[in-house]
Amino acid sequence: MMQEDKFDRGTALTIFSTDRHEDLVALGLSLIIALLVYLFV
Amino acid sequence: MVYTQKTPWTLVMGVIMVAYAYMVQSGVMEPLITFLNTGRHAGEMQTLGYAFGAVAILAGLWQLLASPKEGQTDYYLSTVAGLTFIMLVAFIVKWGLDPLMAKWGREAQPALGFNFANILNLNYVVMGIIAGIIIVNVFKVPGWAQNGVRLSRLGLKTGVILLGTLYSFAELAQLGKLSIVLIGVFVLGSVGLVLWIGARRNLPNSMTGVMSAGIGVCGVSASVAAAPVVQAKSIEIAYTIGTVLLFGVVCMFLFPIVGKALGMGYVQFGAWAGTGILNSAQVAGAALAFQPTGIETLKVAEIFNITRVLFLPIIVLWLALWYVRREVVTERVDVMQVIVGKFPVFVLGFILMFLLSSTGIFAPARHYQGAYFDNSDKALIKKDRSGKEINNYLKDADVETLRKDAEKVKREDQRAALQRLIDNKKVMSEDDDATLRGIINAKIMSKEGTAVLNKAHRAVRHTAAKIAMFRDLIAWFFTFGLVGLGMQITAASIRQAGGQPLVIGSIVGVIKAVGSLIVVMMLVSETV
Repeated sequence: MMQEDKFDRGTALTIFSTDRHEDLVALGLSLIIALLVYLFV
Repeated sequence: MVYTQKTPWTLVMGVIMVAYAYMVQSGVMEPLITFLNTGRHAGEMQTLGYAFGAVAILAGLWQLLASPKEGQTDYYLSTVAGLTFIMLVAFIVKWGLDPLMAKWGREAQPALGFNFANILNLNYVVMGIIAGIIIVNVFKVPGWAQNGVRLSRLGLKTGVILLGTLYSFAELAQLGKLSIVLIGVFVLGSVGLVLWIGARRNLPNSMTGVMSAGIGVCGVSASVAAAPVVQAKSIEIAYTIGTVLLFGVVCMFLFPIVGKALGMGYVQFGAWAGTGILNSAQVAGAALAFQPTGIETLKVAEIFNITRVLFLPIIVLWLALWYVRREVVTERVDVMQVIVGKFPVFVLGFILMFLLSSTGIFAPARHYQGAYFDNSDKALIKKDRSGKEINNYLKDADVETLRKDAEKVKREDQRAALQRLIDNKKVMSEDDDATLRGIINAKIMSKEGTAVLNKAHRAVRHTAAKIAMFRDLIAWFFTFGLVGLGMQITAASIRQAGGQPLVIGSIVGVIKAVGSLIVVMMLVSETV
């Protein structure tokens, strides 16, 4: 993976500090998308 | 550290995207679209071109004109450049290279005797990942895009969560049972095998422990989750991740080729990829590479993948007990805290989305897998983009094919449904549709006859608009994630693999891949 020292936040694979944080953002994003699909499609 | 770099490239990419969308909308691109036969993508070319182009233009102007200071705004807004970069590569591959290769493959077939694009699996998924690998290893990911490239895993996880909207209870129950048995055997089996071989070869227990989780469960996340309970060192985690990554990349390209050569169906391939491939992202890559134009294989593969992730707590507990028995543990580790802390929440998100979808808010429950029945003229006779009429009633030649095969059908209800189809040139009711599906599944008719029945079925089954939107969004989230994943596969990360971990990982990985292939071919049918 990319060199870790290029970034002082997150890891080489993600901008988030932990996997849990990334999971929660993915969950939030999915719920927002689901709401938009429900309302507008 | 300030992440935003003053670069004109975000703005340039945004302008290119908006200009392309406008040219598609105004018809300037029509000759190219006709040449590549990409008319079905014209809608998304405009929507995505305008949407991502507008965001990139705004972010590009901000990058050029503002002087951001270190902080949240700088950190998160700087990712737009990388996100746009990945999307631009994905657009070029999906709307340009993919149809071009398909066209060349077809045109070269008479001379070569085979379709090289099909044989080499040159679809947008494989080419997107390869494009990413080439960019990072040959040209390097530009500095301004590097922060955004780290969003690719977020894209994959969002895709998996949204995928939950596409399953029905019946489907999940059937696939779930199958996956628990298969995954149970192969996950526990490969963890046990790594522990056994590791002990025979006198590997440190910490190395063996972390390796068994990586090879057995789900690659990178499992290695990281298991590391504290076996007190693994950073270098041991790096070795494991390198091995898992190397093996996974090979599998991602090899599995679809083998699957096609063996004539595997969507369910069989999905089950095999979900069981045999070590890392979640590469499972998705292989499934989409096998079936780039649909999502059925991905759905099956992800159920297996998620079942595997659900085994993580069991494996962590097993490794904790195993390690305590073999080592004098100096540092006390709270196993429950590790399990709760490292359990991947996105799997729960998938289940939540499935439950939401099951309430019928996206498509009525009677819509089998999001598809509803409509055999009216309005549904059967449509117009394409140029206004030309497309009639989905069966043609005379189709009816003739069915007549020839009709005598092979013995069951009275099936004969009656078939006769109504022949008389009316369309499926007459939802019950008839189910009955005719029975003829298809039982493989009673010739290949041509079955193809006509499938055509008649597709003509009267229409996907609910919300479900179709979810399918498109999911495919794009995975495309984004996989192109970005390619950009993270560097030669340096692959070189981390080596020595004993690579030998053991390869032995167990191959046993798991071949073993699961044999079991899937013997036990899994396409009617799940």
